[in-house]
Amino acid sequence: MKTILYVVERDFKYFFRYKWWIAGMISMNLADLLIMAVVYTGMVSQEITQQYVSYFVFFAPGLTITALFAAAFMIGREINMEVRREISHYMLSLPIKRWELAIGRVLAGGFRGLVYMTPLLITTITITHVFTNVVPSPLQLLSIVAALLFISIGTSGLSISLAISTTSFEKYITARSVVYYVLFFCSTVFYPIDLIQSALPQTLALVAQYNPLSAGADLSRAFLLGYPPFSAFMFLDVVAFGLVFALVAMLAYMKVTQK
Amino acid sequence: MPTPIIRIQNLTKKFGNLYAVDHLNLDIYDGEILGLLGPNGAGKTTTLLMLTTVIKPTEGTAYIGPYDITHQTDKSRTLIGMAFQEPKLLWVSTPWAILDWHAKICGLPTNERKKRVKWALEELELWNDRHKTVHVFSGGMRKRVEIAKILIQRPKIAIVDEPTAQIDIVGKHKIWNMLRDLRDEGSTILLATNELYEADVLSDRVAIIHKGKLLVCDEPKKLKDTIPGGDVIEVVLKENITQEHLAELKNTKRVVNILTIKPNHLKIYLNQAEEILPQITEFFMKAQIPIATIQMNEPSLDDVFAHYTGLTIEEAQTK
Ligand SMILES: Nc1ncnc2c1ncn2[C@@H]1O[C@H](COP(=O)(O)OP(=O)(O)OP(=O)(O)O)[C@@H](O)[C@H]1O
Ligand SMILES: [Mg+2]
Repeated sequence: MKTILYVVERDFKYFFRYKWWIAGMISMNLADLLIMAVVYTGMVSQEITQQYVSYFVFFAPGLTITALFAAAFMIGREINMEVRREISHYMLSLPIKRWELAIGRVLAGGFRGLVYMTPLLITTITITHVFTNVVPSPLQLLSIVAALLFISIGTSGLSISLAISTTSFEKYITARSVVYYVLFFCSTVFYPIDLIQSALPQTLALVAQYNPLSAGADLSRAFLLGYPPFSAFMFLDVVAFGLVFALVAMLAYMKVTQK
Repeated sequence: MPTPIIRIQNLTKKFGNLYAVDHLNLDIYDGEILGLLGPNGAGKTTTLLMLTTVIKPTEGTAYIGPYDITHQTDKSRTLIGMAFQEPKLLWVSTPWAILDWHAKICGLPTNERKKRVKWALEELELWNDRHKTVHVFSGGMRKRVEIAKILIQRPKIAIVDEPTAQIDIVGKHKIWNMLRDLRDEGSTILLATNELYEADVLSDRVAIIHKGKLLVCDEPKKLKDTIPGGDVIEVVLKENITQEHLAELKNTKRVVNILTIKPNHLKIYLNQAEEILPQITEFFMKAQIPIATIQMNEPSLDDVFAHYTGLTIEEAQTK
């Protein structure tokens, strides 16, 4: 148990060595939000966002997800580098159990995402409160944070699985982009499901419907905007995503030794 | 009879068609320093990586204490600590952070950890640079950080891969002494090196490997004693020697064996070299082959290697 904490601690500390990068990224994300506020709200048809006050208010919870995704995905890039430079040999030679090492790294990626998106989540809650007057209950807030943590862990797991199964950095970056576009494009992070269903082919719309990122964004909206209505499926979806990819990443990480 | 703590049995690693390690059999005794000596590409690092369960053997296995490395990987590693040939350090990190974390993950209690990290940093002259990122470090300094991990961890079995490569001579002696102390405290040390001197002064036993195969393993002194003739004369000639002259030289009294490293570079194994050195120089003068250099040596581990392979280690490196 302690061992897992130490593994998490190491990755966590390395994350904050990039503090200027992080500060830069957070400001950029906040700037995005502002641009959305000014530009898109006027551009996106009112019809589409009528349940959400405005597109800006609709998008705010989605932005938290994009930020979280970016931060949690970073661990994969580092592990990919470690494997290429064979620093992974050091990690694998340590007198600790492999599964502890693996789970520690997955969790570290997850916590990084959560910490990174906290300022954005606070901003989002402030914005949605100003526009809708909704005040989420502590339990609802806790559910939002828990759901985001599961998404973050799933993302970390996904990035680690990709990092380990792609040999070169270029391939990793390519895989990352593909995953990024599929997951975000076919989700309700940027657009409401009604719009997606009317604009995209049915299979892609189906992806959007079951996409854990959609579930995470909509769960936040349910509690922060009051729409769409909360359903247990949203929570199950993110939990499943978190657990499945944590497991896949663990197996992949443990398999690195099969050379 | 000493008890083996590592038993390597038919250990084999193939990369494509290349046998990097080829059916290696070797017992390493509890509490000894075993030097694994071989030229570049001999398979030293590959062997060590299999023992640390970082890579999987293609065939065969090894026992670390009671544990089989092929299916008790987690347990095997509990006895081991390894310092790598290429320092495995994240460049954004500092020696202090690296070593403190290493001590932590190896389970050292807080007080002991702080004490040992400080001690190692001071001994290895890294104390003043402990908060600099290792990416500004020289190769030798990075190597020092790498070996410090093991000196702090003090594992039951310490595996060190060319621990003093790139380190200056004062540093080398310091590290050798620290490794001896580690052994004297009861650890077993497996040392891979291609430096003859290091293998000779540090090892209780030396295993010589070449092309993934074990040539011989014994105490350095015993190995040297197996060299026919008690002395070695090494001659470099300005011209190549002919077969006839070589045959004649071989028949000279007290000459036991001649190794032709190159047609103009000979190693003559013989008894009582002092007495017949004049005779040998005279021989080349008569044969009208000018001598570039001539020197008299005691047999070294290089001669042991040459005895088994027909090559000096230096030559084996370049081939
Ligand atoms: N991952 C790998 N893939 C393919 N070949 C490899 C790999 N690792 C090692 N080899 C090959 O296996 C052989 C043994 O390499 P190894 O690194 O074990 O040698 P070594 O004795 O440690 O040499 P050195 O003194 O240079 O460190 C070499 O021919 C090397 O090219
Ligand atoms: Mg090596």
